[in-house]
Amino acid sequence: MVQTILTRLATSLLVIFGASVLVYCIMYLLPGDPVLLMLDPSSATPEMIENLRVQLGLDQPFYIQFANYFSDMLRGDFGKSMINSDPVLPKILEHFPATLALTALSSIIAITIGITLGVLSAIHRNGVIDFIARLVGLFGISMPTFWTGILLILLFSVQLGWFPAMGSDGFSSLVLPAATLGLVGAGFIVRMVRNSMLEVVNEPFIVALRAKGLSQRTIMYGHALRNALIPAVTVIGMLIGDLLAGTVVVETVFSRQGIGRIIADALMAKDLPVVQGVVFFTAMIYVVLNLLVDISYAYIDPRVRRAVRT
Amino acid sequence: MNRSISWMKYMALAAVLVLVLSGCGATGNSNSAVQASGGEQSAGQAEGGNLTYALATSPDTLDPHRSGLAVTVRAIRTIYDNLVVQLPDGSIKPWLAKEWSVSEDGKSYTFKLREDVKFHDGTPFNAEAVKFNLDRVIDPATKAANSLALIRPYSSSEVIDEYTIKVNLEQPSQAFLGNLSQALLGIVSPTAAKKYGDQLGKNPVGTGPYTFVKWDENADIVVAKNKDYNWAPATVENAGAPHIDTITFKIVPEEATRIGSVQSKQVLAAETVPPQNIAALKTDPNQQLLQANTVGLPYTLFFNLRKAPWDDVKVRQAVQSAVDVESIVKTLYLGNYERAWSALSPGILGYDASLEGSINPDINKANQLLDEQGWVKGADGIREKDGKKLTLHYVDGSPNREKRNDIAAIIQQQLKQVGIAVEVEITKDVATVIYQNWDYDLYGNSQVNSDPNALYAFYHTSAEGERPTLSGLSDPKIDKLLEQGAVETDPDKRVDIYNQIQQYLIEQAVILPIYVFPYTVAASKSVQGIKFDSLGYPLFNDVRIQP
Repeated sequence: MVQTILTRLATSLLVIFGASVLVYCIMYLLPGDPVLLMLDPSSATPEMIENLRVQLGLDQPFYIQFANYFSDMLRGDFGKSMINSDPVLPKILEHFPATLALTALSSIIAITIGITLGVLSAIHRNGVIDFIARLVGLFGISMPTFWTGILLILLFSVQLGWFPAMGSDGFSSLVLPAATLGLVGAGFIVRMVRNSMLEVVNEPFIVALRAKGLSQRTIMYGHALRNALIPAVTVIGMLIGDLLAGTVVVETVFSRQGIGRIIADALMAKDLPVVQGVVFFTAMIYVVLNLLVDISYAYIDPRVRRAVRT
Repeated sequence: MNRSISWMKYMALAAVLVLVLSGCGATGNSNSAVQASGGEQSAGQAEGGNLTYALATSPDTLDPHRSGLAVTVRAIRTIYDNLVVQLPDGSIKPWLAKEWSVSEDGKSYTFKLREDVKFHDGTPFNAEAVKFNLDRVIDPATKAANSLALIRPYSSSEVIDEYTIKVNLEQPSQAFLGNLSQALLGIVSPTAAKKYGDQLGKNPVGTGPYTFVKWDENADIVVAKNKDYNWAPATVENAGAPHIDTITFKIVPEEATRIGSVQSKQVLAAETVPPQNIAALKTDPNQQLLQANTVGLPYTLFFNLRKAPWDDVKVRQAVQSAVDVESIVKTLYLGNYERAWSALSPGILGYDASLEGSINPDINKANQLLDEQGWVKGADGIREKDGKKLTLHYVDGSPNREKRNDIAAIIQQQLKQVGIAVEVEITKDVATVIYQNWDYDLYGNSQVNSDPNALYAFYHTSAEGERPTLSGLSDPKIDKLLEQGAVETDPDKRVDIYNQIQQYLIEQAVILPIYVFPYTVAASKSVQGIKFDSLGYPLFNDVRIQP
C-alpha cells in the first residue's frame, strides 16, 4: 500500500511538471503580446513598449524564460501579476479558501442528493420516484451552470428574498452558488448510482443472498449499495475536479471571490504569471484528489485492497 | 456488514448536516435582512449610512494615472480631485486651482492653487504636488495609460511659489484644460506615490470627498467620508464633506445578478442596466432609473481605409446605404439608446446636429454604387470583381458588451442583401489584430472625452513610424482642420472647424456611427442625489439615503 502510494506520488509530480510545461507553452504560443495588453496601444510609445519587454524578461529566448520561470516556481516564487503587480502565490492562497468552501459544499450537496436519489430510483425502478430522480438527473446534466444560477437568483433572491444574489460574505451567500454546482454534480451521480445499482442487483451473489433469506433492505443497503458505490466513487472523484472547474462560471455569476474568478480575469487579460500559477495550483489539487480516490477504492473494495497487498 | 452500516450512518449524517446548514442559511439571511432594514431606519436623518453600488466590471487599478478603464473612474472620482472641473455646458471652472491665466502664445498656463487643501495622508497640497503629478504621468516608469494621451502636449512645469505653478506645453492645445478636468488626471499624494510605487493603485491617496478604506479583489472597494473635505467643484451642490459615511462598490459582472441584487435590495444601486430590464425597472415602485448619455465619440464602426476595396469611397458609401442603423439600435436596445449620427456625440462642443437624419438606408443606391464600381453578383449572391469576392472582415473586441456582437450579426445579414459577405471575428486580443497586424476592414470603438479634439487621434494622418490611426484616414485637408481645431481660441470658429470635419467623415463614409451609450443606474428610491458629471460619470458628493 505504502509503495503504491509512493509510486503514485512520483507519477503525480511528473503530471504537475507536465501540466506546467504545457501551460507555459500554450500561453507562450498564443497570439498576442502581453506588453501591448498591459500598455494602452493607442498611447504607448514604441520605446515604452520595448523597455517594458526587457524589464519583464520577454526579450529572452523561450528556454531561458521557461528555465527562469520554473526555477523561481520551485523556490515558491510564482512571480507578479502583469496587470497590477500583485504577487501571484499570496493572491491564490488568499482566494483559495472561498473556492474550497464552494467546492466542498457543492460536493456535499451533489453526493447527498446524487446517492440518495440514485439508490431510491434503482429500488423503485420505473416508479414515480424513479421518474422524478431521473428528471432531476437530466436537469442537472443538461442545464448550463450559469442558467441554473440565474434561475436560482430569480427565485430565491429576487422573489423570495431568502438568500443574497451575490457576494462572498458568510454562509448564506454560499448556499445558492453551491446549490447551482451541486445540482450539476448530483445529475451525474444519480445516473451513475442508479445504473450500477441495477447492474449489481442482477449479479449472482445478490441472488444467493436472497436465497439465504436476507431482507430486501439488508440486501440493498448492506450489499448492493456497497458494490454499486465503487464506480460511483470514481465519478465523484472526477466530479470534484469538475466542480472546481465549474467555479469559474459560478463565481462570476454570483460575484464571489475565488480562484475561478482570478483565472477567468487573468485569461482575458493574458496575465501569464497568474494563469500559470493558478493552473499549477489546480493541477496539484487534481493530483491529490486522484490519489485520495485511489486510496478510497482500497477502503471500499476488499478486492482492490488484496490486490494492493500482494 | 458493520462497515456498510457505518457508511449509511455517514450518509445520513451528511444529509442531516446539509439540511441543518441550509436551515442556518435561511435564518442567517433573514437576520441580516432585519439588520439591513434596521440600519436604514437609523439612517433616517438623511445623514450617514452606507451606499452599496454594484459595478459591472472590476477596476484595474485605483491609480488614476495608470488606469485604462472607464469603470475605474466611478471609484477614483470619489478619492481624487482635479485642478479644474468642466461643467455640462463645456465651460471650465475652478477646483483645486482657484484661477489661471494663459500666456499669449497659448503654450503656458499659470495656475493659482487653493491653500486649504490636504491629502488624506496629511501631505499638504501645493505647487510641488501638482508638478510631481504632471511629471509622473509622462515618466515612462509610471507606465501611464490613458492619462498619457490626455496630458499631451505637456512638456514641463515650474513652481513659481508655494501655491502658484506654471505649466508649459509643446504647442498650444484647446483641449488641455478640459483634459485636466478628467478623473484620469486626478491629483495623487506625492508622499503615497513615492512610498507605494507601482502599488499606489492598491493604496490610493488623494484629496477627494472620500478616503480609501479597502479593496478586496473581485469583491468590493470601500471608501469612507473625508470629514475635512471642503473644496467640492461646481458640478455638485454640497461643497463640504459627504452626507453618507461610506460607499461600498460591489463588483458584479453578471448583469442578471447585478439587477437581481438591486431588486432583492442587497445593493442600493447598480450601474449599466441592460436595455431589456429598463422597462421593468421604470414601473417598479421601489426603484428609480437614472440615465446620463456619455460624451465623446459614440460607438462608431471605423473602415480600414488602407485596405482595398475600402479605400474606395463609393464602396464605403454602398455599405453606409445598406446598413440600417436605425433598426439595429431600435431592435437591440428597445428604444433606450439614442442612435448616433456623427463622429461626435451630442453634448460635446462642436457637435453637428445638422447631420441628424442625413443618412438613411437605401438598398437600391447601395446596389447601384457597387454595380458602378464593377462588383458583379456571383452565383452565390456575393459580388465579385477580378475573381475576388467582396468580403468584409468585421472585428469586435468584446464578449458582447452592450450587445456589440449582435450589431455585427445584424450588419452581416443586412450586407448580404447587397452581395457583401461579412466575416465576423470576435477577439479579446485587439492589441494584436487591430493595432499590430492592422487586420480588419471594419472595427468598432467608442471613447469618453470632453473635447472634440478627441477626433485628432482617430483621423489625423499618423506620423512616420507611428502606429496608424483606426480609420487610416490621411487627408491633408482634414489634418489641417484638426490642427486648427486643437489651437483655435474663438469658440465659434472652433465649432465651425469641427462641423466641417464631422460632415466630411459622414460624406466620405469613413465611419458608421451606431449608438450613443447612456450610463444607466438602477437605484432604490431611498437613494437621492446621485449626480453625473459632464462626461456621464456618477458623482456621490450629494448622496443621501432616506429612510
